[in-house]
Amino acid sequence: MISLKDIDRYYQSRFQRTFVLKGVDMEIKSGEFVSIMGPSGAGKSTLLNIIGMLDDPSAGEYYFMDNPVHKLKDKQKTEYHRNHIGFIFQAYHLIENLTVYENIETPLVYKGIKSKERKAMVADILDRFNMVAKKDLFPDQLSGGQQQLVGIARAVIANPTLLLADEPTGNLHSEQGEMIMELLQELNKEGMTIIQVTHSEKNAQYGTRIVRLVDGLVREDIPTNAKSLVAE
Amino acid sequence: MNYIKIATRRLFKKGEHSATRIISLAAGLAFGILLLAEVLYYHSFDSFYPDADRLFVVHENFKMDKSSDKLSSYASTSGAIGPGLKAEVPGVEMATRITHMGTSVFYTEDQKKYKAQFILADEFFFDVMPRSMVEGNAKEILKSPMNCMISTKIASEIGGGVVGKVIELKEYPGKKLTIAGVFEELPENTNYEYDVVVPLISIGKFMWDGSDNWLGNDRYYTCVKLGKGIKPESLAPAVRKMQEKHQDIVKLEEKHGGMVLKYTFKPILKMHSDNLQDIILILSSIAIAVLIVSLMNYILLTLSVLISRAKSSAVHKTCGAQPRNIQQMIFSETAVLFALSLVGALLIVLAVKPLAENELGHSLGAVLNPIVIIPIVGIVIFIMALISYLPARFFSKIPVVSAFRQYKQKKNKWKLALLSFQFAGAAFILTTLVIVTLQYDNLKNSPHGYNTEGVYFGSTSGMSGSKIGTVLHQLRSMPEVEKVGLGACLPIYGASGNNVLSPDKEKELFNVADFYSADENYLSILGVSVQRGEMFSEKAAVRGDVIISQKGAEMLKINNGWTEGVVGKDVTITEHGNTTIRGVYSDFIVGSKANPDSRPSVFFYRPEAAFIKAAQKNSAYSFKIMVKVHSTAQTGVMKKIEKVFNSALPYNDAVIKSLSLEQGKRYTKQRGFRNAMVAGNIVILLITIIGLLGYATNEAIRRKKELAIRQINGAKFSDILRIFLMDLELVAIPAIIVGLVGAWFTVDKWMENFASKIPLHWGIFLGCSLFILVLVAVASTINFTRNANQNPVDALRTE
Repeated sequence: MISLKDIDRYYQSRFQRTFVLKGVDMEIKSGEFVSIMGPSGAGKSTLLNIIGMLDDPSAGEYYFMDNPVHKLKDKQKTEYHRNHIGFIFQAYHLIENLTVYENIETPLVYKGIKSKERKAMVADILDRFNMVAKKDLFPDQLSGGQQQLVGIARAVIANPTLLLADEPTGNLHSEQGEMIMELLQELNKEGMTIIQVTHSEKNAQYGTRIVRLVDGLVREDIPTNAKSLVAE
Repeated sequence: MNYIKIATRRLFKKGEHSATRIISLAAGLAFGILLLAEVLYYHSFDSFYPDADRLFVVHENFKMDKSSDKLSSYASTSGAIGPGLKAEVPGVEMATRITHMGTSVFYTEDQKKYKAQFILADEFFFDVMPRSMVEGNAKEILKSPMNCMISTKIASEIGGGVVGKVIELKEYPGKKLTIAGVFEELPENTNYEYDVVVPLISIGKFMWDGSDNWLGNDRYYTCVKLGKGIKPESLAPAVRKMQEKHQDIVKLEEKHGGMVLKYTFKPILKMHSDNLQDIILILSSIAIAVLIVSLMNYILLTLSVLISRAKSSAVHKTCGAQPRNIQQMIFSETAVLFALSLVGALLIVLAVKPLAENELGHSLGAVLNPIVIIPIVGIVIFIMALISYLPARFFSKIPVVSAFRQYKQKKNKWKLALLSFQFAGAAFILTTLVIVTLQYDNLKNSPHGYNTEGVYFGSTSGMSGSKIGTVLHQLRSMPEVEKVGLGACLPIYGASGNNVLSPDKEKELFNVADFYSADENYLSILGVSVQRGEMFSEKAAVRGDVIISQKGAEMLKINNGWTEGVVGKDVTITEHGNTTIRGVYSDFIVGSKANPDSRPSVFFYRPEAAFIKAAQKNSAYSFKIMVKVHSTAQTGVMKKIEKVFNSALPYNDAVIKSLSLEQGKRYTKQRGFRNAMVAGNIVILLITIIGLLGYATNEAIRRKKELAIRQINGAKFSDILRIFLMDLELVAIPAIIVGLVGAWFTVDKWMENFASKIPLHWGIFLGCSLFILVLVAVASTINFTRNANQNPVDALRTE
């Protein structure tokens, strides 16, 4: 599904080139649940942004569903956002002046789904996430956990093939975090490919594979149940 | 997505500056559009006539005097020119001639009094410049002597059912006109206003009939309608041929040594606007300055708000929004704010309507015509597109990755660039205001060369000649009255013209402002004294003797070689014949300082008894009675004078005026202009302050963390404030210089219209600059201090 070939991401100043990612090669198959780990500044979020087509690599090739992303125009990338990729953020990033209902509905509007169908889809997901009673509330009227639930509902409502989560539990207490991780695991089991960035070994265990980055380099890429040499 | 619903929600959200944005935009739109509408209104004059683009007003161009190289051009001709052009110039489809009888009081048979503007017009008047007839046939009426037709406005004042009624003008007692028709009232945007049209064939009943003259008596407003596609310049050869045939122009040219008279055609659509180029320049400049400042302020505040919402732009993009979708969202928000601002602007206009109508001199409803409305709608749409497009483009271009990483922390030099428009606008309009105000004061208050204090006057129009003597006696008996005098004309209203001839009477030397008759008291009431020779007196002057202004005396000396002086010399002046110069008086301002008549002036002596005799002989003859009161006279003296006048008027309708106030009215245009500047200045300064407050607040919030860290590291708040103000003033200084340069060019151009002008002293520019700089510093300091001077720990925590 995802193929990264010798990906570099660097920032060029007058005399110096500072690498955030260097020579990243990675293959992610459909249905995988990959956790990207590493210390601060390792390039985790940058890698996630490149996979999510929010940022462009400085060098290398990126194929998404066998299509060369590095050659795509912005408009084509938007089509992928509409149809294939969902995002979850640590800070939830709900749109503050939209209600819960409207936040969840947003991707469907941009996808061009008709109003009647949208209503049914949003009703289904509100029901699934037990948020029917909250649908008319605004984000600032919700707890952190509830906001993240809305964030996940918004990310998955258009039934994306790939879900990208940047520290989805970073702002939540442990109980809420567990609930979110279980939800992600459930979505993965339903066939959704998930890539999360996390600092938490515990949360990484919900996935099927762990990629460890250090100073922009992939230092380890192992199944969840394998023993890590880098982590120790 | 229902963008409008979402945009409406944002209105009430804290930090959106919605109220500030709406108020400043509404104020800018109200004032800017009002001024632009006024400028466009000037261009809409006479556009309501059918085929207005084919209507031309015939102008007479001639040399005022031989010494001048300049051709003077007037929108008036001799009476025969209109019919002549129609008959002898191919391409002239129709022609008409009209002439003013003046604004006059008239009476109906039931002794009721009304006021209207009367004109005399030939039978082709409504063919060329048509109005719908409510009653009667215009063509037939204009062929019938002593009939008239009146406007719907006057008909309604009289109370309807007017056809067949007889009216009588105050100035022409005994001359009765029968109302034979009613025409639709003229709109306000017309060059030639009238309420009552009297057939030109009746002219002999009211005044000397020169309607068939080919030369002289050039009092007719002649309007022609040209054939389709005919260029007025192409008519010149045929017009010349007509002049050769009827005016013997070749002989005239030979006599005067060159071109003396020619006719040109000016589009009726340009008649009004061409005379107001200076006002159009200034009003347009103010309007554009106000609109730009308010737009830049709106964009500044909007962009500041959008920066704080950068993340939401990124979120929309991750949900699949294209830049187009983001732009639609911002466009909807702008549409809601703009609609509210327009409503606000409309409310402001309605609130200031009485004041605006008073200053503009016409109803605001008069501007509701296509020539004004279409461009204004276009401008409004353009403004909306601009203030939508720029923020929308900016918002949609924010990179997603940057937006998620504290986008608001980036440097915001663009805010200063937008603010600089406001500083430039404020400097421009403040400086212009100061100069316009000083110039207005200079025009109004500086000496005009004659006295106006304690001088009152009234006309003898409508007064029986036999009663004038009694009136004069009663006035002189009043303890408040110092002196009473008689005269035909007043300096404030300008003067007619006649030519001074050479001693051999072969050449016209120069044209003079002819004040016609004055008695022995007239000039002393005005405080005009004779420098050489003698003032008029019963003993030293005979009727018809002349006194001349200093400038005229100098010109006579040069032209006639009278090196020993002009007093006692005989001189011939057209219309008056041969006369003797009795004295020379100091030049004074004829007309107003805003538009002074630069010709020399003359007065002819007419003793009091001769004035009275003339009035007794001809009931239509009227003159001014001038009354000078003692400086101790109470304010009610005007009423007392009016009472004396009314004792001799059958309808008790005397109008007594103060010369001082009437002189002030000569500067109404300049005063209106000054007031427009004051209003513009208030609006711009208000918007600039709003912009500064918004900027200072946003900067304080944006730099909260930086300020906190600086404070923790030992900086005082005053150090931080100094850095902030330095940034601001460094932008303000060049912007103010730009504004000052704009103001200099604008007022310099405007001042070209005045003979008497104030010097453009550098101190004015410096003072205005300092005022703006201080305003910038004070407004910013207050708001920056209020928002930024907090505990650094709190600032870092919230960060």
